[in-house]
Amino acid sequence: MLAMMLQPLQALQQIAIRCIRLCCHVVERYICVFIIVMDVVDLLKDEILNLRKKLMEKEAVLRQHQTQMYEKAEEKGLYKKLTNVEIDRYSRQIIMPEIGMKGQQALKNSSVLVVGAGGLGCPSALYLTGAGVGHIGIVDYDKVKLNNLHRQLLHPETSTGQPKVLSAFNSLKRLNSFVHITPYDMQLDSTNALDAIRDYDVVVDATDNVATRYLLNDACVLTDRPLVSGSALQLEGQLTVYNYNNGPCYRCLFPVPPPPETVTNCGDGGVLGAVPGVIGVLQALETLKILLGHQGVVTKKLLLFDASDCSFRNVRLRDRNPSCAICGNEPSITALVDYEQFCGSKANDKHNSIHLLDNVDRISTGTYHDVRSEPHILIDVRSPLEFEICHLPGSLNVPLKDLASEQLVQPLKEVITKKGSSDKDFPVFVVCRRGNDSQKGVLALRETLSGLNVSVKDIIGGLHSWAKDIDPSFPVY
Amino acid sequence: MADMLIVEIQVLFFAKARELCGQKESHLLIPSTVSYNDLVDQIVKTFSLESIQHNLILAINEEYATTGSIVQLKEGDKVAVIPPLSGGI
Repeated sequence: MLAMMLQPLQALQQIAIRCIRLCCHVVERYICVFIIVMDVVDLLKDEILNLRKKLMEKEAVLRQHQTQMYEKAEEKGLYKKLTNVEIDRYSRQIIMPEIGMKGQQALKNSSVLVVGAGGLGCPSALYLTGAGVGHIGIVDYDKVKLNNLHRQLLHPETSTGQPKVLSAFNSLKRLNSFVHITPYDMQLDSTNALDAIRDYDVVVDATDNVATRYLLNDACVLTDRPLVSGSALQLEGQLTVYNYNNGPCYRCLFPVPPPPETVTNCGDGGVLGAVPGVIGVLQALETLKILLGHQGVVTKKLLLFDASDCSFRNVRLRDRNPSCAICGNEPSITALVDYEQFCGSKANDKHNSIHLLDNVDRISTGTYHDVRSEPHILIDVRSPLEFEICHLPGSLNVPLKDLASEQLVQPLKEVITKKGSSDKDFPVFVVCRRGNDSQKGVLALRETLSGLNVSVKDIIGGLHSWAKDIDPSFPVY
Repeated sequence: MADMLIVEIQVLFFAKARELCGQKESHLLIPSTVSYNDLVDQIVKTFSLESIQHNLILAINEEYATTGSIVQLKEGDKVAVIPPLSGGI
């Protein structure tokens, strides 16, 4: 009787075992197929990379030959005239009464220095090259990073890690071999700016930091060059031409540099790629108008672009300030100065580490990793948006600006009181993206958590260090 | 007593000013005749812009307001607070 009852159960067991075996077999096959597909993908990637290298080599040889041809033509005095190929190539703008043969020839004999090969410099250089400006110089000291690619569209994926000017040079040359491009892989500073600028008719300010903006302004005033200035952050952009037709210079409007802590960079504030795209293209447009001698250049005016409602506002600015320190009637600045010192900030938009805490009040990611299983609280002081990108499991998100608020910290106090004991300081760790805000967080928490038995420390290097030293699969942004 | 007239102006914020006060525009009651410096002070104090008070320009109805001038304001005038957008890209 019992055996009869067990029979169907055994049959079911057999079926279940078969099913499991079948599933394992399918998974095994799937893994095999996946590995084979992965191998094919890697092979294709390698092959494409090699082909690209070969292509670039061939293009470089072609450029060399073309340059030699142009140089020979220049020696014969033919360079300044447009060739038939150029007439055809630029015919859609030559045919406009505002440009004509004279205008196109003027562009061919003009030169522009684009400072910055980033979000503004890329679109700017792109349209200047397309328009047939004879000589374009492009300056940048930086290398292409993965997080540049969404907005700096002269740089293909394969340029990651390469100097930006080299990547820009290759893209621009591929676009228009008639234009002479000079890449400058260097940081522009007081020692080299005047010499670099003197070789060009117009300067495009496509930089990302205050110190270089003042440097370019002063250098353009001292060499009497118009400065086509653009900037963009998040969803906003600004555009104006300084030092042109008795218009103001940057110092006429902003004689005092902003405190460094009030300047937001793209790494912290973010930027939608098309916003610098709009401003960069407008910079190219204003540059072309200056080279062509057109009226209506955006000087003595500031264009404010707000992408959120697609509004363009033109604000009328002052004329040149007669008492300006550099372009005034009796200038007090007659040579370039130290702009990093003047602005109190570095001439780049890179992250600088601060040191607000003693070493005993900080722990390394390795030490935190070791004590992670012990009772503690981890407070992540980044914004909720950043917290959403990635965070360590179990961490509490209390943004830095909320730490000073008694009301917002109250729930935290309750958690500590519940978890902590009276005889030992309860460990509270503070983490942020890179280890600066976490130090500010420790200082703020010492105030708001005073009276509780806690030991508050920050994690050195933040989540970037965690990803680098502990968990390589943790996202970095 | 004409200069004691109080008018309501619209204040527009750009770049860092927008970030600091957390809004694109607001309103402010202000005497219709006011010195440039008092206008800046009033805006800076009302909208917590102390950190950038020396690094902004004001445009009244899209016209640059000169430092040290006396400003005449009407009801509904638009005063734009414009710090330079220097970082970025």
